[in-house]
Amino acid sequence: MMALLSIGCQVEYHPYDTRIRGARGINARNIARIEEACAGRRTLRFAVLSDTQRWYDETRDAVAALNGRDDLDFVIHTGDMADFGMRSEFERQRDILEQLRVPYVVLIGNHDCLATGERIFREIFGAVDFAFTAGSVRVVCLNTNSLEFDRSRAVPDIDFIERQLAEYPAEAERTVVAMHAQPYSDQFDNGVAPYFQSRLREFPGLEFCVHGHGHRFLVEDIFDDGVNYYMCDNIQKRSYLVFTINEMGYDCERVEF
Amino acid sequence: MIASVSNFRGGVLLLLWLLGALLSGGECRAQGCDSCRVAPERGRRLDRREHVGYEGIERIVPTHLKVQYAGGMGFLSFGAGWDYGRKCRWETDALVGFVPHTYSDKFHATFTLKQNYIPWSIRCSRRLAVEPFTCGIYMNFISGEDYWVREPDRYPTSRYYGFTSRMRLHLCVGQRLTYYLREGNALRHVTLFYELSVSDLDLIAKCGNRTLALSDIVYFSAGVKFQLIRNR
Repeated sequence: MMALLSIGCQVEYHPYDTRIRGARGINARNIARIEEACAGRRTLRFAVLSDTQRWYDETRDAVAALNGRDDLDFVIHTGDMADFGMRSEFERQRDILEQLRVPYVVLIGNHDCLATGERIFREIFGAVDFAFTAGSVRVVCLNTNSLEFDRSRAVPDIDFIERQLAEYPAEAERTVVAMHAQPYSDQFDNGVAPYFQSRLREFPGLEFCVHGHGHRFLVEDIFDDGVNYYMCDNIQKRSYLVFTINEMGYDCERVEF
Repeated sequence: MIASVSNFRGGVLLLLWLLGALLSGGECRAQGCDSCRVAPERGRRLDRREHVGYEGIERIVPTHLKVQYAGGMGFLSFGAGWDYGRKCRWETDALVGFVPHTYSDKFHATFTLKQNYIPWSIRCSRRLAVEPFTCGIYMNFISGEDYWVREPDRYPTSRYYGFTSRMRLHLCVGQRLTYYLREGNALRHVTLFYELSVSDLDLIAKCGNRTLALSDIVYFSAGVKFQLIRNR
């Protein structure tokens, strides 16, 4: 009886333990797929999901809706997979997103930083600041959840941004920046917000920034400098954003499912 | 899952070893009555549990010791407890456990307060009894600076997240198998048990998600209870 149950049931030492089951290193694996599939292309289309925490049903529906399309190159999740930072939440969300036909990358959200969450995020998905090149577009993904780190680390990591600027790949011409919490939100280190933006504007062909955290759709030129910040709905609103980037510029569409 | 099963097997082996060590232990003559002994066989009574109450200050003496593997309260938890009520149906345990560094960011100690209800005990043979259903609730605390009961002051409001990460409540159900030792052993009886538990946060998640299966939120744990003999 006990043997049967042990096979059928999971064992948990603590909800915040870091005994991760299943796939790890998701972002590195998927970035390799994205870069390979998009190499040499100047037109791209990708979807953005955000704030899927504890909305497993809606996330499954979103994945089904995205799998129903055949025009996407990849998907970006702008953070908050977990609600309480528990290992099981990351695993469940990962297992749902693994059903996507196109590769996806995940950014860290403030809820993902709770307790051992950041450690689990790094194990399952990878670094909290990362970047990749999809055709002619450089996508820079940043951890902006400053409040969670309480000044123990530089968040956002300006050094990382400077390295990205210094090592900007030759094949990229335009830049998209993704983050979880936008400047002047309750999570952002607002003392550095103007400087942060001034550094982002140094990226070649900065098109727009996309983020989550606010749980609603909003387009805002936060710094009044022509760089739009697109806030993605939380998944409970049953919507996602689709960005199409071509030689003419870019287009954003909010899609309900 | 493979890791979980292998870890589980490790836990079961440890429990069996503990049981073996106990049963092969030296004779230890003890007299007097314990809190929860087997009543002398009378007819075909199925539930042989009988409570012999402690009096006065003796009530603080634990009636049993426990070791439990997993269950969201640590890799292993050890502790003592008290059983009471008619036929010893109620049981309160205080357990200290740990999550080793291997399974977390660093070593964490855990503290658990557990309340069980064991409504039935069914005699199977002279020395064996089955407790076909147990249920309980337990509260677990974890050590470490990254956990809070009250949210840290850095958050703009006192309920920014609205939950406590240091303390978890779990509900559990389970079954037990009890072996009553011969007179003269150091222990009155030894009970093997397993439990299926669910945490408060997973229950909340289950409420809003029809696609979240029960098997996604239910966790297996197992343990051994050693019933002490009380000396007068």
